[in-house]
Amino acid sequence: MPDFVTKVLTQGIGEKNLCDIAVYMDTGGYEQLRRAFKELSPKEVSDLTSGANLRGRGGAGFPTGRKWSFLPNNGRPRYLVCNCDEAEPGTFKDHMLLEQTPHQIIEGILISAYAIGSHHAFIYIRGEFKRGYEIFRDALAQAREKGFVGKSVLGTGYDLELTIHRGAGAYICGEETGLINSLEGRRGEPRLKPPFPAVKGLYGEPTVVNNVETLAYVPHILKNGAEWFATVGPERSPGYKIVSISGHVKRPGNYEVPLGTTIRQLIWDCAGGLRDGRTFLGVQPGGGSSACLFEEHLDTPYDFDSIAKAGSMLGSGAMVVFDDTADFVKAAYALIRFFAHESCGQCTPCREGGQWIEKTLARLLDGRGVETDIEVLVSAAHQLTGLNLCALGDSIEPFLASVVKRFESQFRAYLPKTGVPEKVLV
Amino acid sequence: MNGHGHGHVVSETPDVGLPDWTAGVHRAGNAFDEMIARLAPEVDAIVAQYEDSRSALLPLAHLYQEHEGYVSPNGIAAIAHRLGLTPAVVESTVSFYTLFYRKPVGKYMLQVCRNLSCLLGGAEEIMAYFRERLEIGHLETTDDGLFSYEEVECLAACDRAPCMQVNLEFFYDLTKHDVDDMLAAMRGGTFPVKPLVQTKRPSRSWHVVQEAGKKSAGGVGVVDPNNAGGLGDRSGIIMLDRLLTEPGFAQRTRERAAHEPNLQIAAEPENE
Repeated sequence: MPDFVTKVLTQGIGEKNLCDIAVYMDTGGYEQLRRAFKELSPKEVSDLTSGANLRGRGGAGFPTGRKWSFLPNNGRPRYLVCNCDEAEPGTFKDHMLLEQTPHQIIEGILISAYAIGSHHAFIYIRGEFKRGYEIFRDALAQAREKGFVGKSVLGTGYDLELTIHRGAGAYICGEETGLINSLEGRRGEPRLKPPFPAVKGLYGEPTVVNNVETLAYVPHILKNGAEWFATVGPERSPGYKIVSISGHVKRPGNYEVPLGTTIRQLIWDCAGGLRDGRTFLGVQPGGGSSACLFEEHLDTPYDFDSIAKAGSMLGSGAMVVFDDTADFVKAAYALIRFFAHESCGQCTPCREGGQWIEKTLARLLDGRGVETDIEVLVSAAHQLTGLNLCALGDSIEPFLASVVKRFESQFRAYLPKTGVPEKVLV
Repeated sequence: MNGHGHGHVVSETPDVGLPDWTAGVHRAGNAFDEMIARLAPEVDAIVAQYEDSRSALLPLAHLYQEHEGYVSPNGIAAIAHRLGLTPAVVESTVSFYTLFYRKPVGKYMLQVCRNLSCLLGGAEEIMAYFRERLEIGHLETTDDGLFSYEEVECLAACDRAPCMQVNLEFFYDLTKHDVDDMLAAMRGGTFPVKPLVQTKRPSRSWHVVQEAGKKSAGGVGVVDPNNAGGLGDRSGIIMLDRLLTEPGFAQRTRERAAHEPNLQIAAEPENE
């Protein structure tokens, strides 16, 4: 493995049983919890997080410390919600963390809850992660036994409860206000913003929703200092990140690297490159919602700002690699079908548009496309963006538009030879 | 509130002046009542975890589904009763989530990933093979009630494509050979994953809503007085498909609305 592959969150995974609290504590686990609760003020903890310039690892890349600072000082109860509803196509990092190193997540949640002054934290675990839920539940019971959770954490007088909430199969619950609705026992439909959750979130109270990976980095920032994190990688987008690499590569998997590592390094040095005799056609760098990048982007540094500058987004840190066997029409169809299926149905452009594009692509794949379909696909997709309550509707266009533009010939190849559908000919 | 003489045991209910929804749908002394009684302490513990009892809606649906094999109309009524909601609110919420089955399903729920990374890893072949071997399609159950088959979205195991879940347990790096072995083991009773509880014989398909086009936001539905949610909450809307497809449902809804001033029908379906 190349030397830039780091072991922070992934330390010990595959080597030790980190689900056992004794093993986790042997590696220095829960020491930062002790330090935070006994030696640091909440402000000192959040200052460290801000100083580290930790940006959200769930998709949007919003600075975590700033998110915390939006909470109003109104004396109301505050909630911290850990978002473990990982469902972005191509992403499998939280799944790994949940099953392999649950105590690290618990420690991150508890320290962060303390930092924002919350006495009740939640973790929203994707419904499909049944095994992960069981592992986390058992780990939480161990932590409770040690006095890390519950009444008067470590005898400090600070009460902190952590409740596990299981989802039930809805991608949209990964959107923070959809998640909050789901946690309140409602349909997981995103809310209109503002008010943002920091002001009016769970039960109408100030709430912070952070991704699993984001919170898991917090104990490490406490341990190693803000500087340690902030000085790795690009200044505005620093630190480490777990990148999930899948698709046409030799060694798909999760690789933890400093942000700013290039896409080429990730695909070839980490994931072993393409299968023998194949050539590179493209990579989706940030989950199903991101636009495809191509050969000319291979030396782009993998960080929030550089990927955005290249015309895509880092998103959840999921790379799907395509070699020359890839059928981009089928790939686009799989993703559009996904978004159409997962649309909550609140906003017309997303609900109707997604299905419309799905049907057009299905028709094309079925050999019943018409010449104008390809143009319509792009223009229709373009008309969905920016018109929805949440980002789901805006996620329909990027990949489709990028691959139609680049591989138009692949789309054209599906058109009937005559250019006129058979039905019309009869 | 519990004055219907059925004597079934339901754990503590908030007094919000709603009728006992469970009275009309299940009969005293049956297996369902026993289940409710048996699970009451667990239900209380779940509800106690939350500042607002409604948060227990999903956990309770999980719990009842685990014990009944699906979220039955009785289960919906019991959840409504326990949380001080109407069955309409509970049903509308439950119907949003694909892992809640509102009709009985097979003993083995086979959920194969159809999303991008699995597609690149050969999922098409696996899906076609499942369909061929089981002789059923997406969202269908075999006649013997043993298998339900669904093609699902990304399961977050893309490094080991193609992947699937059986009763929510993961299986990775699938080959046709694995499919044969798996089905044989399930038929022979030697499969390592526990079969789902089955309290009723499943029908051909369990999904009430199969098309996104039938989602509720089209404006047809019943707006429920319990909808006290935040902005954007539409949880009181009954699914359009039920109004359109269930015989007499729209008529019954209109009749109910005539007696309950708080209920209003947002829009009428054009025909039944």
